[in-house]
Amino acid sequence: MDQSVAIQETLAEGEYCVIAVQGVLCEGDSRQSRLLGLVRYRLEHGSQEHALFLYTHRRMAITGDDVSLDQIVPVSRDFTLEEVSPDGELYILGSDVTIQLDTAELSLVFQLPFGSQTRMFLHEVARACPGFDPTTRDPEFLWLSRYRCAEPELELPTPRGCNSAPGTWPGYATIGGGGSNFDGLRPNGKGLPVDQSSRGQDKPESLQPRQNKSKSEITGMVRSSTITVSDKAHILSMQKFGLRDTIVKSHLVQKEEDYTYIQNFRFFVGTYNVNGQSPKECLRPWLSDGVQAPDVYCVGFQELDLSKEAFFFHDTPKEEEWFKAVSEGLHPDAKYAKVKLIRLVGIMLLLYVKQEHAAYVSEVEAETVGTGIMGRMGNKGGVAIRFQFHNTSICVVNSHLAAHIEEYERRNQDYKDICSRMQFCQLDPSRPPLTISKHDVILWLGDLNYRIEELDVEKVKKLIEEKDFQTLYAYDQLKIQVAAKTVFEGFTEGELTFQPTYKYDTGSDDWDTSEKCRAPAWCDRILWKGKNITQLSYQSHMALKTSDHKPVSSVFNIGVRVVNDELYRKTLEEIVRSLDKMENANIPSVSLSKREFCFQNVKYMQLKVESFTIHNGQVPCHFEFINKPDEESYCKQWLNANPSRGFLLPDSDIEIELELFVNKTTATKLNSGEDKIEDILVLHLDRGKDYFLSVSGNYLPSCFGSPIHTLCYMREPILDLPLETISELTLMPIRTGDDGSQLESPMEIPKELWMMVDYLYRNAIQQEDLFQQPGLRSEFEHVRDCLDTGMIDNLSASNHSVAEALLLFLESLPEPVICYSAYHNCLECSGNYTASKQVISTLPTFYRNVFHYLMAFLQELLKNSAKNHLDENILASIFGSLLLRNPAGHQKLDMTEKKKAQEFIHQFLCNPL
Amino acid sequence: MQGATPPAAPAPAMAKQYDVLFRLLLIGDSGVGKTCLLCRFTDNEFHSSHISTIGVDFKMKTIEVDGIKVRIQIWDTAGQERYQTITKQYYRRAQGIFLVYDISSERSYQHIMKWVSDVDEYAPEGVQKILIGNKADEEQKRQVGREQGQQLAKEYGMDFYETSACTNLNIKESFTRLTELVLQAHRKELEGLRTRASNELALAELEEEEGKPEGPANSSKTCWC
Repeated sequence: MDQSVAIQETLAEGEYCVIAVQGVLCEGDSRQSRLLGLVRYRLEHGSQEHALFLYTHRRMAITGDDVSLDQIVPVSRDFTLEEVSPDGELYILGSDVTIQLDTAELSLVFQLPFGSQTRMFLHEVARACPGFDPTTRDPEFLWLSRYRCAEPELELPTPRGCNSAPGTWPGYATIGGGGSNFDGLRPNGKGLPVDQSSRGQDKPESLQPRQNKSKSEITGMVRSSTITVSDKAHILSMQKFGLRDTIVKSHLVQKEEDYTYIQNFRFFVGTYNVNGQSPKECLRPWLSDGVQAPDVYCVGFQELDLSKEAFFFHDTPKEEEWFKAVSEGLHPDAKYAKVKLIRLVGIMLLLYVKQEHAAYVSEVEAETVGTGIMGRMGNKGGVAIRFQFHNTSICVVNSHLAAHIEEYERRNQDYKDICSRMQFCQLDPSRPPLTISKHDVILWLGDLNYRIEELDVEKVKKLIEEKDFQTLYAYDQLKIQVAAKTVFEGFTEGELTFQPTYKYDTGSDDWDTSEKCRAPAWCDRILWKGKNITQLSYQSHMALKTSDHKPVSSVFNIGVRVVNDELYRKTLEEIVRSLDKMENANIPSVSLSKREFCFQNVKYMQLKVESFTIHNGQVPCHFEFINKPDEESYCKQWLNANPSRGFLLPDSDIEIELELFVNKTTATKLNSGEDKIEDILVLHLDRGKDYFLSVSGNYLPSCFGSPIHTLCYMREPILDLPLETISELTLMPIRTGDDGSQLESPMEIPKELWMMVDYLYRNAIQQEDLFQQPGLRSEFEHVRDCLDTGMIDNLSASNHSVAEALLLFLESLPEPVICYSAYHNCLECSGNYTASKQVISTLPTFYRNVFHYLMAFLQELLKNSAKNHLDENILASIFGSLLLRNPAGHQKLDMTEKKKAQEFIHQFLCNPL
Repeated sequence: MQGATPPAAPAPAMAKQYDVLFRLLLIGDSGVGKTCLLCRFTDNEFHSSHISTIGVDFKMKTIEVDGIKVRIQIWDTAGQERYQTITKQYYRRAQGIFLVYDISSERSYQHIMKWVSDVDEYAPEGVQKILIGNKADEEQKRQVGREQGQQLAKEYGMDFYETSACTNLNIKESFTRLTELVLQAHRKELEGLRTRASNELALAELEEEEGKPEGPANSSKTCWC
């Protein structure tokens, strides 16, 4: 049973109980059951706030009527929930989990049951913690105000009065019902289940000094209580979409090879430092050099705009100009769709795909990292676009690293900063952000600014002239740094077969003739990392003369994982089917040794027990007998299941005893046929099935529990009468005054009463301690059987047993000898004998007769007080509460009423009748 | 330049897997084969021996209907008359109900009327119903004609299938059909779900409705539970 349902019923619109767990609130030596519900509230702007709602509850809460809000603990920034081991005790595997809940205001300790529900609960609570992200707003918990009543501090335990806010807690008044089915006379004297009575106790002060524990330490511990693989099956059956979805996804990833194949796509990667110029010439020589139209274009620029405006306001007309130039320069044989444009000051990256591939591009994210001035500004740095192409994840990075020949270490650092600071959001916000390295394919292009070292300018130019790029390459800083593993680890670069792309006089192919006369260098580079990548070309494009750099391009064949739809569907179906199967196998299931229980010939106050065994399957589960709709208890009052709830380990057994016991409360209706020995019990497994158990049988009517007037009309022993007659007579109303009855002449008093009194008169008139010693149960049963069968001559029992039977007879009368209607009158005229006699004279005939008869008998007893040691006070105290019963609740008389009742009887014992 | 259009739909591989969860209920006389229908549908198993379901059992199954992944919880109830006062109480949690009779039992067919009236009384408004004549493989013992089934279904405005858990006839079809009907009946909610795209919010919200209890406070959002 998911108890969050019960909580949900009490919540307002917009509030949602994520998960609930039943635990024990520990305060000093006090242990009280509480239902803990994690409640989420969604705010208008889409964010969420959480609070823990603590409820008192009756039984396992099934509906809103079962729970009563006790207090609310908002999940605020200072909220922590920590798993602790109980003081000085070793952690025992499988034992309850003790958790400590702290906020700035309070500290509570709970014990939660061991198991996956608790794990899930802790996990959800940890997820609900707002965390320490300073960019998000502090939760305000305005939605909790409706629970706050007059209390200024909503964290404080709310007083009881708050709970009965109109319409909120409809079930409040009824809580506490459904207690014992048996009264004090229950033979085996077993007590009530503990938590049923806990409602009655008032909540003690729950504030304790907050523990000194650093915040991060505590939350770290909670967050670590994640779900392990072995819990997976249980989680599944919790019907949480999110989790199941995650499991399906992870299976899909594992089985990716089953439904995908590698297909090559042509990627064009280009980089161009444009030195702040606007496009002046067609870019086709650079972008559309090949015969075959590429599938994907990744085009990067550096120094797009060198103006201050671009640097400070991040806005430049050049973006549009170059975007347009590139779009027009793409290969004419295909139609392309722009996927993304990202720019950081002068560093811009463009991603296009052929239009037919657009549907297979997803999860596109773009980010920038500045490494320039102060290590943060955008004059240097990198931009990147990550995306999913079919089933392959691709990240393209365009970077402009630090300049100047001696700054190679700065460049290495820029690279590292870009790698560590470039983070992409994921679709699923609960997952950590992606970094560049977490991609199947990484393409890195840009003005990396690595130079040629050690050689002087003339030597460099000479080697270039000789096209001895190999020799020259040995002095390339990037080559040296990569070999030293200080940068671009794991990346590959194709062979440099083109002359350095920097630095030319703008508009020409001539090396820099300015004052600085920079040495030529391979500043502009393209590297890659990943499987199934083949470089088809790597070249510079001398034809473009707009800048002091030449553009560089590379074309790759990249093997991308493409989904075979049919195989994908098949794989998915398989996964789903296996999850369904696992889930169904994890629905708790038990077998019962017996499901039909027949109790034959049940007698008054005779305990009958039938037992059966619950054998659990492979899933640990809670079981409980649950109430049927519109009924207050899980079974009829005369029945009890012991235990009525519990926990079962896999493959374990538990024996349940069904105890049937008819007492004075239930006897009358069984006599009248209004009730029958018939019931259906619903055994419910938490998160699982319901089992029906049927109880049947028959009750043997008894004079015990029959009304006085009914018995007066029964001339035959009750068991000799047909059931219909008994029913008819039992349902007959009491008539006041002399009734000229149409029925055959009644007796003046019940013959059973006469039998008992007569027996005592004959045998026990001098019996010491009469009515003060208990009788024997076995003898009571004998007395009962003799009375009900009329075999009075067979009666042989101790005087005390017969005396007790008499008392029980009087006690079990549905209407006391002094009828309920006369009760208050009697108390009022207690002490005034005349008036008291007057009240007695108003009783219905049979009742009056019985009263006089009993008083006469008691007076006879008192005549022998020397022997039997009885006196008026003893008898008045014994019979006072039997003959006079409070109509409101005949269990507990308050002391003054009790005294008055005794006094009333006392008068009749010491005065002539 | 050949036009720069934004990319279209996301790649199919990592699409969201589950959209909806709801409950279907199997009712009908004892012995008509409710449990067998369920076992055949969820586990593709069939056991010919009859063990009375005494209680209420359920199984989960995930199917795809109309591009929507649907998780259905199928409740199998005790058919015996003496339990009916209790089993009726489970109706209110269902969005779809299978009314099952046995084509070889005229009596079970006659009782459909009573089952329908119970559904009318106890199930939520707008609950979808479908009539099933099971044991269609037992042609030689047939007491209820196909047309009779069709006629009754028509009277109550229900779809009708003759099924056989034994030979796996029309099992998947009938379950899928009822699922479709429930989806159609809740089209409005689903449209809302779809237009909100495949984000987690939409899921969670539906989940909430799923967990919401019945009651007047909830009446504006009809019977997802």
